[in-house]
Amino acid sequence: MSLPLRSRRSTLLVLPALVLAVFVVAGGVGAATLQSLGLMPLIGPVRLSVDAYTGQAGALLGALGLSLAIAAASTVIAALVGVGTALLIVGGRWCGRIVAVTSAATVTIPHLIGAATVGLLLADSGVLARMFGVPPELWPSLVGGPWWVAVVLEYAWKESAFIGLVVAGTLITRVARFDEAAALLGAGRWKRFRFVMLPLALPALAISSAIVFVYTLGSYEVAWLLGRTYPEPLAVMALRLFNSASLTARPEAAAAAVLTTAVSFLVVGFCFWAVRKSAVWR
Amino acid sequence: MTPPVARTGRMRLPGDPGSTLTLSRGSGRLVRVVSTVLIAGWFLLPLAPLMVWAFANQWSFPALLPTQWGFEGLGSAIGQGALPALGASLTLSLVVAAIATPIGAMAARALTFGAVPWPRTVSVALLAPIALPPFAAVMGLNVLILRASIPPAAGLVLVLVVMAIPYTTFTMRVAYAAHDIRYEEEARILGASRWSVLWRVQLPLVAPALARAAFLAFLVGWSDYVVTVVVGGGEIVTLPLVTASLAAGIGNDAAVAILSLSAIVPPLALLALAGLAGRRPDRASSSAAPSIGERR
Repeated sequence: MSLPLRSRRSTLLVLPALVLAVFVVAGGVGAATLQSLGLMPLIGPVRLSVDAYTGQAGALLGALGLSLAIAAASTVIAALVGVGTALLIVGGRWCGRIVAVTSAATVTIPHLIGAATVGLLLADSGVLARMFGVPPELWPSLVGGPWWVAVVLEYAWKESAFIGLVVAGTLITRVARFDEAAALLGAGRWKRFRFVMLPLALPALAISSAIVFVYTLGSYEVAWLLGRTYPEPLAVMALRLFNSASLTARPEAAAAAVLTTAVSFLVVGFCFWAVRKSAVWR
Repeated sequence: MTPPVARTGRMRLPGDPGSTLTLSRGSGRLVRVVSTVLIAGWFLLPLAPLMVWAFANQWSFPALLPTQWGFEGLGSAIGQGALPALGASLTLSLVVAAIATPIGAMAARALTFGAVPWPRTVSVALLAPIALPPFAAVMGLNVLILRASIPPAAGLVLVLVVMAIPYTTFTMRVAYAAHDIRYEEEARILGASRWSVLWRVQLPLVAPALARAAFLAFLVGWSDYVVTVVVGGGEIVTLPLVTASLAAGIGNDAAVAILSLSAIVPPLALLALAGLAGRRPDRASSSAAPSIGERR
């Protein structure tokens, strides 16, 4: 190689992570795309076709709409609670410490465990129904109901802690001095929030919200455990098809996977592009 | 005027959060306390059912508290394989952290101080797994892994390591951005070998960030469900898998609560440990804080 020594050393250092990441991302997306186009069948002839997309276009679009709706609702609630969490953490003192500890603890809980415990809380014979003394037939169907309430609340709960910690992390390192300066110049609480905290928190908020959105969009276990069987979001649909015995199901499952991946990359790409373009960055 | 001393024993610096200038007073203080209670409640409420169900032998519907307390949930969780699942979860997460942390740190160091060709493209490639839906990745990869006859356990570790790389790389890039390379140069000038500079200067300086990165990578392995189901092919049964199979059924609530608690406690213990370990050097070196590190 004709690269200079420094460049060669850095390339060697970056290579292990890069090779693995490229193998999983390109290999995973590539193989899923080939499967969805009938070019990588488990058995039978290789034949290029878009049947897996056109044959179930209605179901795919319906699942996509539902996935987007669940992800949007969860992200909005998580962002609102997350900003409140971050402001309390940045405020410091014991209020900040309590919120920091409880949110850090929430981040460590696996989503599947979160789904299980939210189920125990919100089901029609769950702990909340007992606390309020509501009989099961009168309790709103939060788990497995038409509005996906338990699913959205589980995502919002876990991810608000994530957004809160990410935003608090950037605010603590950068903003405290500005906040003090504004206070010294006579800015009240609302003005400091509106003109100091919010603009400086915005890039971190936008990026963490985009991560939460695509995470929720591509997540399987919460919607599977707390949702209903029909209609189903993309991930649940894809894994049901993936595990089904029928031969046409594999390409159809791969089509749902490719659609989810494409939307995820579009959302994240757009968000990073917008943040980079905005003057707020740095 | 003596500067107020923070509770950690360190002197308060300008810009530390919670200064008297921005302190809430009067009604603002009330709003702050109420919102703290609300947000702490939002985070803690979903955990409440676990604490009660874990010790309920019987809890028929309208009763506010279990009709019969006991430890039957523990027995039935162990009967369902909770202990081997706990072992599998711990092993998997530790292996993922042990691989993803050093390769993330190496990549971050090269991107911060080195001369990587096409640095933007490489950074994007290392962050890309964050946008990749795990179920979509493994549905495609499963075929490749089967055809390349990679054992399921290795395939599982591979995918989870890649899922962890964005977090470890990003954490270490932040750390290296604040890292003062002149400490290393100084040691080299004084005659230390590359190896001893790595072990005795660089690693001690970035150790807290390495711990954070390793913790995040541990969480990726610890929290995973769908990758283990698809790539593990039933060979590797972790805590979330056992919990899922019980939670999808009916009448296992006590065992589900026990399994959930055993999935919540280990990361919390790690977090508490890291918090304790992170506090000590801060107290010891309050006056000897690196001052040349302030150049950024």
